[in-house]
Amino acid sequence: MTVLSALAPRADFPLLAANPSLHYLDSAATSQKPRAVLDALVGFYETSNANPHRGAYALSAAATDAFHNARVTVARFLGVADSDCLIYTRGTTESVNLVAATWGATNVRVGDEIVVTALEHHANFVTWQQLAKRTGATLRIVELTAHQEIDLDQLRDVVGPRTKLVAITHVSNAVGAITPLDTVVEIVRAQSNAVLFVDGAQGAPHLPVAFDTMGADFYAFSGHKMLGPMGIGGLIGKRALLEAMPPFLFGGDMIEWVYDFDSTWNVLPHKFEAGTPNAADAVGLAAGVRYLEALDMTAVRAHEVALLEAAEARLRDLTACTVYGPPPSRRSGVISFSLDDVHPHDLATILDQHGVCVRAGHHCAQPLMRRLGVSSTARASFYVYSEQSDVDALCSALVSAQTMFAAA
Amino acid sequence: MSDVSAASLSAMYQETLLAHHRAPLNRRAIANATHTGSRKNPLCGDALQVAVRFDGDSIADAAFTGQGCSIATASASMMTEVLRGRTRDQALALVDEVESMLTGGTAAPNLPFGLEALRGVAPFPGRHGCATMSWLALRDALHTRS
Repeated sequence: MTVLSALAPRADFPLLAANPSLHYLDSAATSQKPRAVLDALVGFYETSNANPHRGAYALSAAATDAFHNARVTVARFLGVADSDCLIYTRGTTESVNLVAATWGATNVRVGDEIVVTALEHHANFVTWQQLAKRTGATLRIVELTAHQEIDLDQLRDVVGPRTKLVAITHVSNAVGAITPLDTVVEIVRAQSNAVLFVDGAQGAPHLPVAFDTMGADFYAFSGHKMLGPMGIGGLIGKRALLEAMPPFLFGGDMIEWVYDFDSTWNVLPHKFEAGTPNAADAVGLAAGVRYLEALDMTAVRAHEVALLEAAEARLRDLTACTVYGPPPSRRSGVISFSLDDVHPHDLATILDQHGVCVRAGHHCAQPLMRRLGVSSTARASFYVYSEQSDVDALCSALVSAQTMFAAA
Repeated sequence: MSDVSAASLSAMYQETLLAHHRAPLNRRAIANATHTGSRKNPLCGDALQVAVRFDGDSIADAAFTGQGCSIATASASMMTEVLRGRTRDQALALVDEVESMLTGGTAAPNLPFGLEALRGVAPFPGRHGCATMSWLALRDALHTRS
């Protein structure tokens, strides 16, 4: 058996380097950061720190350039030629809320339908659920196949002339299922005039993303899941839609003229970036993106598939272990599973004792958990720094847990 | 990474806790319960219901129902055993004691023998909520009536 080494050396990641016996299998929750990202973040504060856009002095120009170049870097990585259409937000959750509060508020009304799926993370479910309640629109929920993939036949049945919005995940954070976006786009375009919103929180870190050719109207992502710092992410949208949407937050930078009783708005992207931007974290995220570009996203994907195949084979070998989601070729680096005799909470505690970090809970997907008939599962997730020893540690810890809890 | 040793782990999962988890005591309904309460943990979906029947001033019977992890189940099992014969005030004081032992880190020198195994949960802050679930349900129950 070939030993799978990490794609990105652990030595590049200070936290992992300092904790050699740690097996961090919760990258779906947040990724560890390479030194390059930390250096870029601190470097901004040490060399280029000023408020972008506002000053007439050289340091402010440097900050403005750093901030702008970061945006261009991330836009290029995600296949967006028009970088003004990449709006910085705090992350995917804020991106969803931005669209619901602006596009949603002005376009959705009684009689309209909003389509989501049973796979969605609460951010891409609750937000639209509440928009439907507020506006009197009808929420339609597309159900799942036996492998917890979105039932595309049902999607075909549900999407129609009344559909105003389809909100769908690129990759499920709970079970890792990858949505075939090209098929979804085909269905939505053929059968409706709906806007297509894609939750890319787990997509952008793990798969090549090319927004301009994807065919979606919006794509949201989170920097901290793709080697970047917390507190920064983005919303990519088609220019015509973004220009027609009213602002989300009001204040400095997003205005053009402020009269006493009315104001006019700045152009993209500034219209949606009120207040002092999170320039430092944007610069940090760009460094994370450059790190991923150097690895090449095709190699990232191949690495994860190899780890998944190794892990899944051993998990399926365990008795009394249920693995959720589709086979490795149709899933991203996330495996949710449950052991018959061990509650996920107990499992996570025992794994912690073996230095294995997994997530136990509902993974912000209570609608999905209900459909699985469980209240929680355990979830292990791989990323660029994961390697064979992580798979081995996970599996032997699981065997220990089973032994400890074996029925007397 | 965790600085709690394997010895602590086995202390927590010592035979007592595992025994209570495998064969919980008093996992049943109570006819004529005088007080009921429940608690859910939204993070994991666990839910426990606690029922108590007073005879005069003291607890004649205590039981629980619901689904939980091993810590939640074991704690509920141990709780229902030690409640018998206690007054409402004594029961509430016991809730405070358990809560402060776990989340407040106090020594709890007067903890009844039947709850000793709960001390093993103290070094695991992530599991305190599991251990206190049935106790908080009991507190709710004693402050209201069924």
